[in-house]
Amino acid sequence: MTRPPFPALKLPLLLLLAVLLLAIGGVWWSQGLTHQAETALQQQHSALNGSRQQLEHSRQQQTLITTHLAAYQALAARGFLGAEDRLAWIEAAQHANRDAGLYGLDYRLTPRTASPPTLAQGLPLGQTVMTLTMPLLLETDLSRFLAALKARAPGVVRVQGCRLSRLNDALSDTTRSPQLSAECDLLWFTVSEKAALKTGSPAP
Amino acid sequence: MNPAGLFDHQLILLATPRQIGVLNWRPGQMHWLGEFAADKGGLAGFHQVILKHAKLPVLLVVDTVDEDYRGDILPHVLGRARDELLARKLKQVFRNARFMGAWRQAREATGRRDDRYLFAALTDADWLTPWLSILHREKVPLSGITPLALACQHLLHKLRLHEPHTLLACRLNNSLRLSYYHDGLLRFSRLIGGDTPTQLPSNAADEITKTQLYLSGQRILPREARLHVLLLDPSGQLDNAQAPLNADPAFSARVIDIATLARALHIPDSFLAATPEIAPLAAIAGEAVQLNLAPPELLQHHTEFRWRRGLHAAAGFITLLGVGATAAYWLHAQDLDNQTRQLTQQQLQLDARYQAIARNFPTQAATPEKLAQTVALARQLNTPEPDAYALMAAISQAVQAAPLIRIDTLSWTNALDSMGPTTITLDAALTPFDGNYRAAMQHIENFIQTLQAIPALHNVSLKSSPVNADSSQTLSGKTFDANLADAPAARFSLNLEYRPEPGEAQP
Repeated sequence: MTRPPFPALKLPLLLLLAVLLLAIGGVWWSQGLTHQAETALQQQHSALNGSRQQLEHSRQQQTLITTHLAAYQALAARGFLGAEDRLAWIEAAQHANRDAGLYGLDYRLTPRTASPPTLAQGLPLGQTVMTLTMPLLLETDLSRFLAALKARAPGVVRVQGCRLSRLNDALSDTTRSPQLSAECDLLWFTVSEKAALKTGSPAP
Repeated sequence: MNPAGLFDHQLILLATPRQIGVLNWRPGQMHWLGEFAADKGGLAGFHQVILKHAKLPVLLVVDTVDEDYRGDILPHVLGRARDELLARKLKQVFRNARFMGAWRQAREATGRRDDRYLFAALTDADWLTPWLSILHREKVPLSGITPLALACQHLLHKLRLHEPHTLLACRLNNSLRLSYYHDGLLRFSRLIGGDTPTQLPSNAADEITKTQLYLSGQRILPREARLHVLLLDPSGQLDNAQAPLNADPAFSARVIDIATLARALHIPDSFLAATPEIAPLAAIAGEAVQLNLAPPELLQHHTEFRWRRGLHAAAGFITLLGVGATAAYWLHAQDLDNQTRQLTQQQLQLDARYQAIARNFPTQAATPEKLAQTVALARQLNTPEPDAYALMAAISQAVQAAPLIRIDTLSWTNALDSMGPTTITLDAALTPFDGNYRAAMQHIENFIQTLQAIPALHNVSLKSSPVNADSSQTLSGKTFDANLADAPAARFSLNLEYRPEPGEAQP
């Protein structure tokens, strides 16, 4: 083909240019549409996955609630959750002492401290040391007292340790006076209500 | 057929000094638009036809006595050098002829491998001027001017005739055209006008014999070659020439009838019988013009036409491509939108199910995870510690076996872990003690062994002994009568661990 006769080809060239521009514009526009649709689809995929996870999580939560709510409420009723009920603890100790037929006791409660993290496992667990000092007639009185206290304990309590010692050096005394002194450290555990509880529906 | 010809639509003109015929051709379809005499009325009618089809490209096939053919061999050159060489050669051979052209037919197989050319010209073409004026005035895209002999070459190809030396005797418009083809390529042609006495078959055979002699004389046809003569005459007047020609061993003649020709050209017999001159035109239609006699200035409109058509085709192709790509992208976007809508519906359903579950969650409660964790922690803390009674019973068992040992203090510490051992510290005294530390240590050792023998007690160790016999310390004391009431005691301390037996009951 010889050299193009440009003056005679103005219209076809303009037509070609217009068509080219229109084609590029059309492709660009439709590509934009496709890109937008792809983005929207990806976002919708993410949102759907989020909803699936939320639903699955809520099912797991529902299972947890079904399984543990009654026990949790029972713990709350026992005073494991929320503020300390020191008077109840003292009363429990007194009642246990009386039930065991002992001679009274001395008690001392230390300020509440945070439990070790390995024990607390992320919960706001606090512990209060109650030191009980009481005279005993026999060694077995101590185990009876501790059993009575466990039975009456208005909360979660553990015996940290005890110390039994003789009140005097007499090996045998026929009188019914106390021969032994017992000193026990009890740990009363409570979970702080402010951090543990939450108002409204559970978090997703 | 040229593949591009599938999309061609053109007018093919067959021009003679007396008239011009017009064939409207497109692939698979053709119309004979008539013949127009070379007079005022014919020119006017031709003008009307051209006006009606002014946008179509036109190929002009010329059938005239005033033509000349020359064959020559030229060095093989390319590009501008070839153009200049051919221009010089044409000027040299045909002098001032306006309509002339060169066709590079083949390349020599040996020697310098030169190119073999056929040069052709219309030596007198003044009669063409009125027709060309009309075409030029109406800016008709003239694609070329070619001799009828070249159109007949395509006719041979359509007839699938492959003899090396072929002479086509074609009687059209009351004239006899004799064209020689070597290996299917035009080498020579001459027209014997209608006024000559060729109507007699013997004269036709004579003209063929003369032509054969001329071709042999010019060394265009090898002397020993047998010439295959094809007699093409719709009127049948040439049929009688077959016998005298076949009587000569230098010839092999055969008649091409209308039916064979129509079958080769894919046109109806009746149409071909009515207008036999369309046969060469139909044969060359859609083919590339190999030998173009038109000067460049006459081809200007066709050049523009081809560029315009190319640009339009490009525009159409781009339009198709653009529309196709746009449609594909748009459809893909619609598909994605549909998927998005379906996912949205699924998400709404999931959200509704979540809301239904969440509505049943108790208020004023900890998060379910904290709730479960709190319950688990409380259960862990509620696991029972080692029984104090069992612990004291284990110690008591050892004390009973050692009547001289008196327990002063018994203290123990439980591990927070229910699986951990209870650590016991035992302060005791050996009484009575007469100051014999060796005997006392022996009693204590026996006591330790007794403790270790009890299954629940482990790791019994002496924390402090009644006497420190270390060489670095001062050691002083005295002995006593063991029977004295106030005899001192030998005090010592033990550390040990208590682990309940697996079967031992927990309180």
